[in-house]
Amino acid sequence: MEHLLDVRDLSITYLNKSRNVQAVRHASFTIDRGDSLGLVGESGSGKSTLAMGMLRILPENSIEMTGSALFMGKDLISISHEEMNRLRWKEIAVVFQKAMNALSPVHRIGTQIEDIYRVHEPRATKAEIHDRTMELLRMVNMPERVYRLYPHEMSGGMLQRVAIVISLLHSPKLLVFDEATTALDVVTQGQILEEVVAMEKTIEMTRIMITHDMSVVASSCRKVAVMYAGELVEIGMVRDVLKQPLHPYTQGLMSSFPSLKGEKKQLRAIPGFLPDLSDPPAGCAFASRCPHCTQQCLSQKPVLREMPDGRRVACHLVGGQKHE
Amino acid sequence: MTKIQKALRAIVSDKQLLFGLIGIAVLLLIILFQDVLETHDPYDYGPDSLAAPGINGHLLGTNKLGQDVYSMLIAGVSTSLKVALISSLISALIGILLGGAAGFLGGKVDMVLSELINVFMMIPTFFLELMIIAMFGNSITNVMIVIGLTSWASNAKLMRAQALSLRERTFVKSAIVMGETRPQILFNYIIPNGIFPVIANTTMGMSGAILTEASLSFLGLGDVNVISWGQMIYDGKSYITSAWWIATFAGIAIVLTVITFYMLGDGLNHVLNPKHISGGKK
Amino acid sequence: MDDSQGKDGSRLMKKYIIRRILSGILTIFIVFTLTFILIKSAPGDPIRTLIGQDNDDPVLQAALEEKWGLNKSLPEQYFAYLSNAVQGDLGTSIIYERSVNEMISEKVGATVLLGLTSAILALIIGTTLGILAARHEGSAYDTITSVTTYTMNSVPSFWLGLMFIILFSTKLGWLPSYGMTTARKNYEGWAYVVDVMRHMALPILTLTMVTMPKYFRTAKSSVLQVMNEDFITTLRATGMSEKKIFSKYVFRNAILPTITIFGITMAYLITGVSLIEVVFSWPGMGRLVLTAINQRDYPTLQGIYLIMSVSIAVVMILVDIIYAVFDPRIRYD
Repeated sequence: MEHLLDVRDLSITYLNKSRNVQAVRHASFTIDRGDSLGLVGESGSGKSTLAMGMLRILPENSIEMTGSALFMGKDLISISHEEMNRLRWKEIAVVFQKAMNALSPVHRIGTQIEDIYRVHEPRATKAEIHDRTMELLRMVNMPERVYRLYPHEMSGGMLQRVAIVISLLHSPKLLVFDEATTALDVVTQGQILEEVVAMEKTIEMTRIMITHDMSVVASSCRKVAVMYAGELVEIGMVRDVLKQPLHPYTQGLMSSFPSLKGEKKQLRAIPGFLPDLSDPPAGCAFASRCPHCTQQCLSQKPVLREMPDGRRVACHLVGGQKHE
Repeated sequence: MTKIQKALRAIVSDKQLLFGLIGIAVLLLIILFQDVLETHDPYDYGPDSLAAPGINGHLLGTNKLGQDVYSMLIAGVSTSLKVALISSLISALIGILLGGAAGFLGGKVDMVLSELINVFMMIPTFFLELMIIAMFGNSITNVMIVIGLTSWASNAKLMRAQALSLRERTFVKSAIVMGETRPQILFNYIIPNGIFPVIANTTMGMSGAILTEASLSFLGLGDVNVISWGQMIYDGKSYITSAWWIATFAGIAIVLTVITFYMLGDGLNHVLNPKHISGGKK
Repeated sequence: MDDSQGKDGSRLMKKYIIRRILSGILTIFIVFTLTFILIKSAPGDPIRTLIGQDNDDPVLQAALEEKWGLNKSLPEQYFAYLSNAVQGDLGTSIIYERSVNEMISEKVGATVLLGLTSAILALIIGTTLGILAARHEGSAYDTITSVTTYTMNSVPSFWLGLMFIILFSTKLGWLPSYGMTTARKNYEGWAYVVDVMRHMALPILTLTMVTMPKYFRTAKSSVLQVMNEDFITTLRATGMSEKKIFSKYVFRNAILPTITIFGITMAYLITGVSLIEVVFSWPGMGRLVLTAINQRDYPTLQGIYLIMSVSIAVVMILVDIIYAVFDPRIRYD
């Protein structure tokens, strides 16, 4: 079966006056229809850049993108602006981080929804749009009156739900959550994730969750891709990766969050910092922070290799079959 | 990196600050070498009345009384800078004290002072200055004091905002817990830590002071015993059709000086105001 | 539920407006008291000035003091003046023995004509240029307009007026530099309007040029700021056209600071108008101020100052109300 999204060897570089930051390097992964993928990493790992780059909303004159991202057979990296604009929101939508700022503060929610809806359905009537919105609002347990409110009259959780509603207006094939629940308290975050998972039972949706929080991935995704310093280091099924993380970075990431099953383990942060991405190291990017670092790690870059359970890991210490 | 290196880097990286500093340096050099630069005694009524630029060694011509315009311009630098410096010092002092007290003490003090600040932000202060000068005499000292007394509101507003946020900081709270008195905290913690935006604003205010002095002079309320650019424009107004040089060059001198202070103020704002220090790429 | 929301909003709005009006009244009251104290503490005896330094006639002096109410105690004088002012009577000019109201009302029209025209022109031109500069940030157009407005911001208005006289009146002979109408030519109808407009051209040009930079800076920086807001990224991600994003969302958000600036600029503009009236001998309040200063006609000065403060307060209150209408967030502050 053809993948819904097939990203191959995607690299994104920020071009600055003095230095070029290679924020994403040679990322390759796929998502199938109806699947859900968590893209995890600490801040600065390039996970947001990866998603925003695919959506082509990074400032085009200050970045350079190579590689491809085939979405329903079209390469998002190379298609024209017009073609991209046709895909936007109709086929690919985003729920942004900081929902507080994701809407214009001086326009009513309804006005903004109408305008966004009409980007792709210019002849839609107010009533049509209203009905569609009401249907979606009910799905996320929101009262109808939000349609007439201004953003400042709502709480963060409400705004986040509104942002989800807006993203679903045209039932896009692919939905990207960019740290969408990070700013919320744990209870609200849990509620929203439950609602999203429940929604997927009624509508067909493919989802990418960008987050730094393993627990978000654990409770809402089927697959997980771990990113470190612009590179994907481990991709696999959530149940496999979470149970037995193979890459030392994933292991570190796991132990820096409380265990989901309530087991009492010692929490520890990973010591050290991200390498300078304007001059990435020759070997493994994680080598300087890795507790098991060897000479090989410092000199030779590990590639993603496939494990017996189907996941892929980029680490000299893990081994596995070389992919492709 | 040493502090001096850091400062130098900041200056070079901010063009406005660089140009502003160069401009100030030039103005100070002019004051320092005033005697050398002046070709005539600016107060001396020479024999050439309304001589055009270039005639009889008068580089930029003379006015009705035969005073050398170029030498007057040179003499005017120190007047303008004196007015700028003293009036903005007064305005900064009042602004820092009132704003700091309002923000730090809060409560009723803040209510009263804030309302006062708002009133002074709103009223046309130029006419207040005008009335006071008209009533109490147009000496340069009066002009400087009056400008200082009427232009402190924006400084106070900035300082109040600074004090409001500093009040919540740990080092201020711990000073309170350690039993330091309120004036001590105000002068030792709040003002030293919150003063930077006020410094930038005061520099901007110097431009305003120069313009205000010029405007007062233009309305005939300047100090006739002191050579000032505004006074020169006032004198030149009557001869604007026959002897354009009297007012024209004085105006250019004002524009250049005011721009210098604006650039310096903008530059300092970029460097000193915490709001302008951006956190880089999001 | 929604009704209560609406009622709540308008109630808060009303409260906000009332608060603004009260603070405006307070401002005017403080201005009034301040000027009263100033005038009473001014050195020199106005009666002496009136009857001449050498005249020592105590009877005349007493009669004049009684006539002007100066024999009463200071608080009595204060409350008498206050109650008159509240009723709209600004007193009498000591020099002309005319009602200050009358003198102001003769001149106010000409001043408002200049002030309002240039305020609106500066608003439109400055804002448009600023928006364009932000849209083409870093371009040659941006550099040129930014440097020009930066310079204009440092130019004394009265000097610029004089320069325009040299250029457009003396050298080119295109436009008149003096007064509001051509003397000794009793134009009527359309010819009169054209004549006034020709006389207005240079004062308006000057005032617009010196006021415009404030709008330019405001518009440019707020457009740039709004363009960086997260919600613009959201709208771009929806595939909405840049044109629509700009004309509806950026514009509406970026115009808010301009409304505030319009109010703040009023005081600056009134100062500018007065100076420019002196430059171009425009028959408005600025000229009245100048004569009142030269003749130390304090009641007239005080009256003019009060009128100016009231009009600025009124404009600022109106601006705040307009702002509250445009920005839904303000009502709840």
